[in-house]
Amino acid sequence: MSSQPNVLEKVIAFVDERVGLKTLQAKMLNEPVPGGSRWAYIFGSVLLFVFIMQAVTGILLMFYYVPSADHAYASTQYIIHEVDYGWFLLSYHFWGSSAMVVMVFAHMSQVFLWGAYKSPREMIWLVGLALFGIVMGFGFTGYLLPWDQRAYWATTVGVEIMDKTPIVGDFMARFLKGGATPGQMTLSRFFVIHVMILPAALMGLAGLHIFLFRKAGPAGPFRGTPEELKAKTDYFFPRQIWKDMVAMGAVFATICSLAFIEPVVLLEEATPDPGEYHPEPEWYFLFLFQLLRLKIFSGEFGQFLGAIAIPGAFMALLAALPFIDRSPERNIFKRPVALIGWIVVMATILIFTVSAIINREFLD
Amino acid sequence: MHQPKLKSKVRCADREVGEITRVIVDPLSHEVSHIVVGGNGVGGAERQVPVSEVQSVADGLVQLRTASSALAQFPPLKREDYVTIHEVEIAHLEDHLHVESGEVLVPLPTLERNVPRRTFFMNLTHAIGTLVALPLAFPVLKYLMKPMYSPFDNAWLKVGNVNRIKTEDVGIQFKYKKKVKEAFMPETDVDKNVWLLKASPDVLEEVYKGKDMEFRDQAGRLVWTNKKDVPYVVFSGKCPHLGCGYKWRKVPKLGKEIFLCPCHLSIYEPSGKVLDGPAPRPLDTLPIRVDAGGNVEIIDMEFKAGTKAQTRIV
Amino acid sequence: MTDQPTQMSSVKLGLAVAWPAFWTGMPIKIVLVLLLLAMGQHPWEFPGLAFLLLLSIPVDIWAVGLSGRTVLLERLGVEPPDSLGLTLWWQGAALYATYGSLACFLERQTIAGSKAVVARILDLELLKAIPIAERISIELTAWGSIAAVVLLALTLGGLFLFGKLVQRQADAASPTAASYEARIHQWDLMRVPADQPLMLTVVMAVGVTMVLLLWAVMPVTTPHPHESYKQDEKKAVPMLKPTDALQKAERVLTQAEASVQTLEEKAKKSKGKAPTTQDKKAAAKQKKA
Repeated sequence: MSSQPNVLEKVIAFVDERVGLKTLQAKMLNEPVPGGSRWAYIFGSVLLFVFIMQAVTGILLMFYYVPSADHAYASTQYIIHEVDYGWFLLSYHFWGSSAMVVMVFAHMSQVFLWGAYKSPREMIWLVGLALFGIVMGFGFTGYLLPWDQRAYWATTVGVEIMDKTPIVGDFMARFLKGGATPGQMTLSRFFVIHVMILPAALMGLAGLHIFLFRKAGPAGPFRGTPEELKAKTDYFFPRQIWKDMVAMGAVFATICSLAFIEPVVLLEEATPDPGEYHPEPEWYFLFLFQLLRLKIFSGEFGQFLGAIAIPGAFMALLAALPFIDRSPERNIFKRPVALIGWIVVMATILIFTVSAIINREFLD
Repeated sequence: MHQPKLKSKVRCADREVGEITRVIVDPLSHEVSHIVVGGNGVGGAERQVPVSEVQSVADGLVQLRTASSALAQFPPLKREDYVTIHEVEIAHLEDHLHVESGEVLVPLPTLERNVPRRTFFMNLTHAIGTLVALPLAFPVLKYLMKPMYSPFDNAWLKVGNVNRIKTEDVGIQFKYKKKVKEAFMPETDVDKNVWLLKASPDVLEEVYKGKDMEFRDQAGRLVWTNKKDVPYVVFSGKCPHLGCGYKWRKVPKLGKEIFLCPCHLSIYEPSGKVLDGPAPRPLDTLPIRVDAGGNVEIIDMEFKAGTKAQTRIV
Repeated sequence: MTDQPTQMSSVKLGLAVAWPAFWTGMPIKIVLVLLLLAMGQHPWEFPGLAFLLLLSIPVDIWAVGLSGRTVLLERLGVEPPDSLGLTLWWQGAALYATYGSLACFLERQTIAGSKAVVARILDLELLKAIPIAERISIELTAWGSIAAVVLLALTLGGLFLFGKLVQRQADAASPTAASYEARIHQWDLMRVPADQPLMLTVVMAVGVTMVLLLWAVMPVTTPHPHESYKQDEKKAVPMLKPTDALQKAERVLTQAEASVQTLEEKAKKSKGKAPTTQDKKAAAKQKKA
């Protein structure tokens, strides 16, 4: 017979008696993934990982950063130039936010292409859209915090655009700015939103998202006979987790590399007059920024149309998607409207983003 | 056909052979795929019988097609190749599984057996919960809204003297410092500028269009009136398009001097009227007061950028 | 039906091997890139590039071997031949050098050509008045689509040729009799190393070494300092030792007293006399101190 259980085994037995640890562990980890674990499914877990890294680096930054208009710039510069490896942690946090947006797009695309938003997964999709909005909110609020020219003016333009929402626009803009013009009140509000409100919202909604996903089960591949699916089925742990880990490692290494290639360098401190500086938002908002430069969107109504109405309508379409698209067909190659729609949307975003970059040279 | 139940007796074509000791479910289709027959008459190992061999399912009895002698052809159960449904997470697996006969019950406490009592306490809980949260709503809203609609500062600020203006209809920039105190921040000086112009009668007519210009505060009370016959006009230094600081330039193409905003190339006449560019309205005029010695005073105001209507915000 | 090995088109076959091979090698190469960057080298310039390319060779051989063996087993139902990775690698490298260079050249020409044509079209009197923002997007869409289509065609061509190389390997191999499930099982087990503790130890050791190297070479302060940021020049302030300071002070005072005495005496005697030997001794003492 086996020898006496060692200390570790005794501890595990102790907890298991009280918590049902073994059963809990089995339930959580032994989730069969029909058709097998896939590299295509890693994006959700990678998103969670990137978020945790952002939280960790963000907390570390808060050891030195001061969210006050007269100290924000200096404290950020201090982190970059004086604190050991501060430049690296800040650059990691900065590039991590870009990585999060890329992963969100990848994850949403994967779910869309696999038809995993269809019944019975409608609620997971809706919660996911809310999470998407939160990620964009993180990017927008965090951008202001260094309080340099780029941060200040990108935020000013961004909030002015939100002002164009009918009825609630003025209230919303004043609420975010903490007044009529951007200043200390704006910085305080953006800081609270970025550091407390959005993280709490994200954690809550992400928990809900994962819970709903577990309840519905993974959708699995969109083609394959039951026999093929069964032959390849494996468990979430360790197979899918292994793939998730490798992907996390690769993404981690990529973000670190970007931090080395382009560490964060601030512009001059924010001033009320933009001077020679041309305001520009973060890269993932550039396509919208460029869209608003088109003549059809000029004028007050045009700006409202391009900035609020059209993006709003698109988001509404995405939200309604699982209720409009009721066909159980999940094979993307048999859903031409979905496939072409996805390609067109991605291509449009790409074209307008690149156009915005080209346009920089034509700003007199 | 009903689902075979655990512990049901199993009968072959000729005789009873045992009972259902376990049931195997397909993880993809959620259907019962096999029954495991054990007990006496099977001779040792439990046999895994596919559900296609089941002829009929009755109360507590499952009838198989095969003869008991042929039972040995079915493979024995390899228990290590399976896990119980409590050790695995398969969504909605148990929803359509009815292999247990009967249910396991737990009594309601005596106090909870009175339905009107339950509903009353449930509703009371909701009511009190609301009443706890509600008092906060209004103070929190006002708390958050404190800085959003600050009253306007209508103080007169000295910006310079008119002796700087030598020619009519030429824009001269007057720079000044404004003391700003935001919330708890220390008072700072903000560099601001305005453009002053000694207007000829034609330009003056363009600006005033025959009416005195009135400036009111948030309550609607009159703060100041710019008389239309005073030749000095002052424009806010911020472009009405997006708030950039604009300049006075001579443009060779037009052969005259105009106001030009470098950000998005809005062009304005000396009277402030929009000549070209994305500006939604003419340049914003400010209250101006010139004393006998030629000293110019203005009330510093800022207006919402990007709108056709002129709305004061500072 | 799934038990029958499938016949795959060359393009599909090429993609089935190349796509996973690329992503299999990626995580390892990213780690190498990271190390290079930490050392201050750019991986897209020499010498960093040479280092990266050199180290990529074994990684690529392993990756293409792994994905090749998987596809051959699962989709084509043949036993993968030995050194499949090496064979496919050098054949693929030769293909990349020849076809790849040609394809690059053609794509570059297409981009330049379509850009020029589109610019010319938009310069026509009819279209000259289009505002700059619209013009940029229209130009980009126009030449971008053409370049994308050509790129797609060239890529498919490359995959077709690579697929043919894979097919050649498959044709030379012997078919397997195993069922679908057994074949999946087989390629799955290919990924589990024979000596697990050894491999895990090696991976951990290599990993930890790389991490230590990273910590050693990583710059402590930013490699791109802001032009107007003034670093505080902290000179090492010498430690103040109170006893030493007092002793020094004492010495200075005694010296000062002595020189004052000498001067007074000098002053008295300077009404005619030469300095005495005592004075000379005192003067010499002063010089020594």
